[in-house]
Amino acid sequence: MNKIWTIVSIASIAILLWIDPGNIVAHMNNAAAGTVSLMIRLLPLYAVWMGMMGIAERSGLTEKLARLLRPSIKFLFGEVDERTSRFLSINMSANILGIGSAATPAGISAIACMDKGGEVATDAMIMLTVLNSVGMQLIPSATIISLRQAFDSAAPFDIIIPTLIATVIPLIFSVAAVKILQAKVKR
Amino acid sequence: MNVEIYILPALILTLLIYALIKKIPSYTSFAEGAKAALKLCADIFPYIAAVFICVQLFKASGLSRWLSSALAPAFDLMGIPPELCELILIRPFSGNASLALLSEIYKTYGTDSYVARCASTIAGSSDTVFYITAVYFAGTKVKRFRYAIPVALLANLFSAILACLIVRFF
Repeated sequence: MNKIWTIVSIASIAILLWIDPGNIVAHMNNAAAGTVSLMIRLLPLYAVWMGMMGIAERSGLTEKLARLLRPSIKFLFGEVDERTSRFLSINMSANILGIGSAATPAGISAIACMDKGGEVATDAMIMLTVLNSVGMQLIPSATIISLRQAFDSAAPFDIIIPTLIATVIPLIFSVAAVKILQAKVKR
Repeated sequence: MNVEIYILPALILTLLIYALIKKIPSYTSFAEGAKAALKLCADIFPYIAAVFICVQLFKASGLSRWLSSALAPAFDLMGIPPELCELILIRPFSGNASLALLSEIYKTYGTDSYVARCASTIAGSSDTVFYITAVYFAGTKVKRFRYAIPVALLANLFSAILACLIVRFF
């Protein structure tokens, strides 16, 4: 992460020094401002879903969900403690339903639970990161369908089945890849 | 497809009714859960800013376009149209930047063109590898992600190849 960030930044700034030196700092400021507006958009979504998760937690519903998903959690993440498995089950259910703003806080909490202060990601952390960054949304993205509608598509829903196929097969592929690497690469 | 709009409200309603049956204090529990949202945003903000600054420089310098055209022949071999290279390059970094590119593709090639349908499928079936990694590990000291990023990037590329292939049949 550090390497990629540094290399891409240096290369881009070097080119910009050549073609457009006056705007380099402005670009950086704009990006930071864009992050602030993203946070302002995300904060209310997080508040709603984390509030709902608070209720789910207190009512014992997440515990039930975790028990329901225990076999798949055990298969994917190995042995994890009770609290972690609760966050993992929320993260996975929210992802499948396409509620990204509920999946993210749960995923972060799961990582925090698994974190023992080390510098190297554990197998379970890697599985969670890969699952989330490959995409496991089974209910197709409303964002993209509404964008297609906004651009006057004649058939905005045509992409649902291809999207589903292009989600599920790579998902299986990446779970298999992580499992194989787990067995082969011992830390 | 209108069923979709009922899923989340139904979920929330079920949750609230369940809480009522279980006799737990919903109002307090909601507030306690939501309280953590502000801290969460504060925690992940610097990491997202770092990723976004990098993406902005990457795009503004023309490096992303240059890299896309350099990679176009390789992508072409895998059945990915060259028009989609930049989307595939940007997608792992930022969801918003890729939605912006998606709109551009809709505008340039028409929403129902093959390229635009591929682009929609790619955007819908992949996720933001670098963004997710940055955000998920924001609160930890973890610096080495081992094979996490290569596997996720490869899976997303595989998904893009698959998308361009399948879209032909729909």
